[in-house]
Amino acid sequence: MGTGKTSIVLRLVKGQFYTNLESTIGAAFFTQILSLSEATVKFDIWDTAGQERYHSLAPMYYRGAAAAVVVYDISNKDTFTRAQKWVQELEKQENLNLVMALVGNKSDLESHREVAAEEGDQFAQQHGMIFVETSAKTTLNINDLFYQIAKRLATVSPPPRSSSGISNFQDNKSQRKFLCCSG
Amino acid sequence: MAEDDASSYPPIEPSTFDLIVIGTGLSGSILAAAASAVGKSALHIDPNPFYGSHYASLTLHEFTSFLTAHSAPLPHPNTQPQFQIENNDYIVAELTTHTLYSDIEVTVHDPEALGNGKKFNLDLAGPRVLYRADSATELVVKSGIEQYMEFRAVDGTMYVGSSEGRLDAVPDSREAVFKDRTMSLKEKNQLTRFFKLVQSHLDATEGDETARISPEDLDGPFADFLNKMRLPEKIKSIILYAISMADYDQDNLHDDNYVLKTKDGIDRLVIYQKSVGRFNAPGAFLYPQYGQGELPQAFCRRAAVKGCIYVLRMPVLALLMDKTNEQYKGVRLASGQMVFSSQIVLDPCYNFTSPIYSRPRIRREKVARGICIIRKSLKPDSSTFVVVYPPRSLHPEQMTSVRVLQVAGNLNVCPSNMYVVYFAFLCFDADQGKRLLHTTMSALSSLLADENSEDSSSSLPEKTGTSEPSILWNAFYIQELIKVSTRVSPIYFS
Repeated sequence: MGTGKTSIVLRLVKGQFYTNLESTIGAAFFTQILSLSEATVKFDIWDTAGQERYHSLAPMYYRGAAAAVVVYDISNKDTFTRAQKWVQELEKQENLNLVMALVGNKSDLESHREVAAEEGDQFAQQHGMIFVETSAKTTLNINDLFYQIAKRLATVSPPPRSSSGISNFQDNKSQRKFLCCSG
Repeated sequence: MAEDDASSYPPIEPSTFDLIVIGTGLSGSILAAAASAVGKSALHIDPNPFYGSHYASLTLHEFTSFLTAHSAPLPHPNTQPQFQIENNDYIVAELTTHTLYSDIEVTVHDPEALGNGKKFNLDLAGPRVLYRADSATELVVKSGIEQYMEFRAVDGTMYVGSSEGRLDAVPDSREAVFKDRTMSLKEKNQLTRFFKLVQSHLDATEGDETARISPEDLDGPFADFLNKMRLPEKIKSIILYAISMADYDQDNLHDDNYVLKTKDGIDRLVIYQKSVGRFNAPGAFLYPQYGQGELPQAFCRRAAVKGCIYVLRMPVLALLMDKTNEQYKGVRLASGQMVFSSQIVLDPCYNFTSPIYSRPRIRREKVARGICIIRKSLKPDSSTFVVVYPPRSLHPEQMTSVRVLQVAGNLNVCPSNMYVVYFAFLCFDADQGKRLLHTTMSALSSLLADENSEDSSSSLPEKTGTSEPSILWNAFYIQELIKVSTRVSPIYFS
């Protein structure tokens, strides 16, 4: 079982939770629109499709991303260590406007906790990241996570440029690409 | 992550697949995506820390170090491919690597302007573009990878260059013929008549033999057919080398393999004409944002979404053959793990010998490639365009077409105040290739010089030495093209 990246996205987009969801194959992206008083933010969420497993994420994921969510499992210390390495990897990408969020998922597994909330919070603060603990299972903080990201996007990101190129051969692609990583 | 190497990876699970693909080049990536799309289990491995193999787009630093690393055989415990029987199960055929790049020359003219080089995405396999109406573009649309990518039109039309430093627009449509100012009225009529003839050939229904080009002509050389149509030399050259993209000098052939047949020439002409204006954009070509290296990445992502497992930074040491029935079984990785599959596709840089399979026969041609980073566009009125120098237009020794592509900062391949120019041609001999690379470079430089002198035509024609260098960086290299023919049924080369 993974850290719950896909579960978080499915909870947000479809309001559903699946126990024993298999390791991610299948979904390429999800779309979700959130309305704030400041702006309406359309999320195009890119799942990592398992390419993170052997550290083989393509630069394509990082390019033009407005936000990155790095997820670890609070009941598994190793995933927290790997999440920290992913944060460093993202910082190397020279994407100055990237909004980053650190997420400790599976907060419902309190009795198996291996990573204290303070540890996550402290690391996130050092790296200027949003931090929340979530449970895709109980819905705890899922909406809050994306509202926080949307809020920060509305303040840091410039308004979407209108693309004059041939996007997709069809419609213009939203500029708010956004990706999910994990430990 | 950069500091990780293959040995720190967790073991690959599962360890048996329908297909293993080694190398994330364009063809390997398309195969991985196709296999995964039809439900085959696939493992895709690359020894490099990046996607794309020989089709990658790299930063300035990565680019130079990749070429240098691949210009000498990769370090390997054994210099000769060997085989031995390991335990009692497999025959082990060790893999060695071919040297694919040679004669590398990199010159940095202005290191300050280039900065840390991270803003560059330089194509290893440039110049490459996509025709909007050909099967590669159809594949991009059908496979769904276009949702991961953005393309832009190569906005300028195509030009034919000459050694006198002129760039003439290719008259590729009736409208363009009409507007052209370099052709006489007679030449315009001849070209229009030729386009009409091709059109009626294509429109002709089955049995309507009068409107069709005869089968003998279709099977014969395109150059002969154009002569028969009494097209003047200049127009013939435009059709052969620009529109139909013939590689070799069609008037001076000593090998039948290099003849462009009329039917193939017409097919290419049709693809070109259908490409012009498709997707409501000027010109015939597309170029991906962030460089050609996005294509293999996108196919790999497509494959991953369908379940293909990805492992970069993982060299492959050996092929494993079944001892009893002598069939391919799997590979041994640098991590020590053995993984198995029913089929395997190997990157062209790998070589092996085995007691069972005869050594693959390899035919080698070369392609000479050059890249330069410049501060000003080769053409003041256009930022991205294609130029073709037909055979013998640059030098009497030039036996093949030299193709040039200029791209610009709006494609996210370089900083916004710069341009990247790619050029390449086929050759048989590295020395000859190098000479022609230098000749091409001076022809391109003279375009820059002309432009500068136009800018300052009023005064000081000779005093350009004090200004900033117009060429910031350039690289020349010769790449082996490997064509393998082998009877080894379960092993294919990408």
